[in-house]
Amino acid sequence: MNDIAIVGYAQSPSWERAELTEVQFLFPVIADAIAAANIDRRDIGFTCAGSCDYLSGQTFAFVSNLEAVGAWPPISESHVEMDGAWAMYEAWIALQHGDIDVALAFGSGKSSPGDPAHIYPLQMDPYTLTPLGADPASLAALQARALLDSGRITEREMAEVAARNRKDAIGNPHAQVSGEVDVDALLATPYVTAPMRAHDLPPYSDGACAVIMATADKAREICENPVWIRGIDHRIEIHQPGMRDLRESPSTAAAGHGAGVGDGPVDIAELSVAYTHQEKILTDALGLGDGVKINPSGGPLTANPMMATGLSRIAEAARAIQRGDAKRAVAHATSGQPLQQNLVCVLEGDLR
Amino acid sequence: MADLPISTHVIEFPYTRTLGPVLGPFLTGLRDGQIYGIRSNDGRVLAPPTEWDPLTGEPLDTSALVPVGPGGVVETWAWVNHPTSKHPLDQPFAFALIKLDGADTALMHAVDAGSMDAMSTGMRVTARFKDERVGVITDLVFVPEGGA
Amino acid sequence: MAGANEPVEGAGAGEQPVVMMDYFMHLEYHEVVCPIVRRYAASLMEGKILGQFSPKSGLVYVPPRSYCPVSCEWLGEDNLIELEDRGVITAFTIVTPVQYYGQEETEPFAKASVLLDGPGGMLSLQDILEIPPDEVRIGMKVEAVWLPESERNTDEIGNRSWGSAAGAIVGWRPTGEPDLPAETFTDKVY
Repeated sequence: MNDIAIVGYAQSPSWERAELTEVQFLFPVIADAIAAANIDRRDIGFTCAGSCDYLSGQTFAFVSNLEAVGAWPPISESHVEMDGAWAMYEAWIALQHGDIDVALAFGSGKSSPGDPAHIYPLQMDPYTLTPLGADPASLAALQARALLDSGRITEREMAEVAARNRKDAIGNPHAQVSGEVDVDALLATPYVTAPMRAHDLPPYSDGACAVIMATADKAREICENPVWIRGIDHRIEIHQPGMRDLRESPSTAAAGHGAGVGDGPVDIAELSVAYTHQEKILTDALGLGDGVKINPSGGPLTANPMMATGLSRIAEAARAIQRGDAKRAVAHATSGQPLQQNLVCVLEGDLR
Repeated sequence: MADLPISTHVIEFPYTRTLGPVLGPFLTGLRDGQIYGIRSNDGRVLAPPTEWDPLTGEPLDTSALVPVGPGGVVETWAWVNHPTSKHPLDQPFAFALIKLDGADTALMHAVDAGSMDAMSTGMRVTARFKDERVGVITDLVFVPEGGA
Repeated sequence: MAGANEPVEGAGAGEQPVVMMDYFMHLEYHEVVCPIVRRYAASLMEGKILGQFSPKSGLVYVPPRSYCPVSCEWLGEDNLIELEDRGVITAFTIVTPVQYYGQEETEPFAKASVLLDGPGGMLSLQDILEIPPDEVRIGMKVEAVWLPESERNTDEIGNRSWGSAAGAIVGWRPTGEPDLPAETFTDKVY
C-alpha cells in the first residue's frame, strides 16, 4: 500500500432547502477544496463523484455536477451512485496505482425538491420491498425495535444520543440542527414511526463535500499538515432485512478490521449515525470504548447532506486531526438500508 | 423562502420486470392465495424466496418451493403513524418482519392492526389476501391472528 | 396502459403463471427556482433574453447559470448581458415520435439550436415555425416569435428547463435573409 493523505477538503452548509442548484452550491465547495490543497485545478489526475440521480430527479444529473469541477480540457473521471465516501475509495484506489499523484472526490445531494420517503424505496428489492414503499425511517425503526427488545439500549439512551449530537453541533457551521435540548422533553414528544421520535431521525439536508488526496511525496510538498489514510475498507451484507440480524453490523466490523481500527488507540470517531440507535450498533461493531468521542461535529443527526454525509464524516475527522483534537480518528460511511453496506476509514495526523 | 417561485417536475417510469424461476412462482402463488418460501441447500426455508443462498451465493433448486404461512410471528415492528402515498395502507399501520410458519427467515410486510396498542414483538399475525389479486407483493397484508 | 399483471378473481383462479411484474414509478419534485433563472424569467416577461458572459473563456451562456464550466469562474450580476432575439440555426434534428409512455407528439417535428446574433449565446431545442421540418437547414437565419406581453407566463421555467423560453417565445421563424455559411459560426458552437 502506498501512503495517501488528505490534503484539502471543503463542505457546504447543510441547508434545509437550498436556493441554489446542486451545481451552483457544489461550485464553491470544489473551488475551496482546491484552494485548501494548495494546488491548481489541472493538477488533479482523477476525479470521482458520488450522487444520486433519483434524488435530483434528473437522469445524468451527475454529468451536470462535473461543471463544478471544470471538465475542459477533458479530464479523467468516474461516478458512483453512492455516498461520496465510496467515490473517495475509488479515487484512493486510483492513487494506489501510482500513475497520478492528486485525486478529487466529492459527494453532493439536493434532497429538498423530492421526498426521500418516496425516493429511497426505489433502492430496495424491486419485487418484494419497493412496492411496499419500504422507506429508510421505517426500516431503521424495525432495527431500533429489535435493538430495544434485546435490552442493549433504551429509548432514553437514544434521546441522549440526539441531545449530545445537537449540543456538539453548536458552533459547527455545517450543521443544520443544533442546540441544548432536555432529554425528558425529547422523550415527551410523540412517535413519528415508533419507536422513532423526531429526534431519532435525521434532518434531510441539501449540501456537498469535497476531499482532495495526494500521494506521500506530493502531500508533503503541498501540505503542512496532511492527514494520512492509514486504512480504508468497505463491506456489504444481505439486502433483505429479514435475512440478517439487524442488531449487529458484521459488515462494519469487517470493514473496521480491514481498515485497522484496532491497531491503535482511537481518539474520535465520526460515524454515519443517521438514526440514534445506530450509534450503539456501530460502536459495538468497531469495538470503540467509552474513551472515544463519537461524532464531535454533531454527526448526521444534525447535518445530513444525502450522498455527502459519509464523505463529510471523513472531512470532519480530518478537521479534528488538523485542529489537534485527535491524533487518530475513525470515519464511517453507510449505504443502503439499514446499515447494509459500510465503509470505515482510519486517519492519522503527521507524526514526523 | 415561502414566496419564491417553485417549479414542479414529475418523472414517471412504467417499469415491467421479468420475474424468473423463483419470483415468478412466488408471485403466482400470491395471486392464487398461497405464500411460498424456498428450501436452501442447508435445509433452511427462506421467505421471501430467492434464486440463490444469501449466505453463500450458491444457486438454489428452483423446484424446492415450499408453502409457508399464512400465519407467522412478528420479530420486530415499526408503527407508521403517517403513511406515505407509496405505502400499502392509507391508515396508520405497522411494518413488521414476520417469520412465517414453516420459514426460517422473516418477510417484511405491513400489518393492518388498527392501533399501535395491538402490536407487540412475538405476536402472531396472518395473511389477509385481497379479493382481486394480480401477482404482486401487495396482494396481501397481514392482520393480528384472531382478528383486528 | 397495458399491464403485465391482469386481475384474477379468487384463489386458484389463475390459469397462466405470473411471469412479469409492473411497477409504476411516479415521483414529484418541487424546487425553488434559483436566483439567476428568476432574473432570466423576469427578463423574458419584458421581451428580453438575458445571458451571462464569461470574460475568461469569452463564452456566453443562455439561460445564465451563475458559473462558467470551461473557465471555472463564478458569474454574477456584472456578467449579465442582454442578447439579440435573432440568430442562425447551427444544428437541428427531426424527431419522428415513437409512442413511448409520456410522448405526446404524433407528427415529425424539428428541434434546432439557435446561435444568437451579436454577443452570441446558444438556445437549444427550439421550435422552428412557419416551415415544415424538412425545410429546416443549418445556416438559416431566424427571429424569435414573442407572445404578446399580456399572454406571457414564465411559471413553467425552472432550474432544469435548459434553453427554454417557453411562455414568452413561441418559437423561431425564418427571416428570409441569405443563409450564413457554416464556417462563420462553427467556432461559436458549444
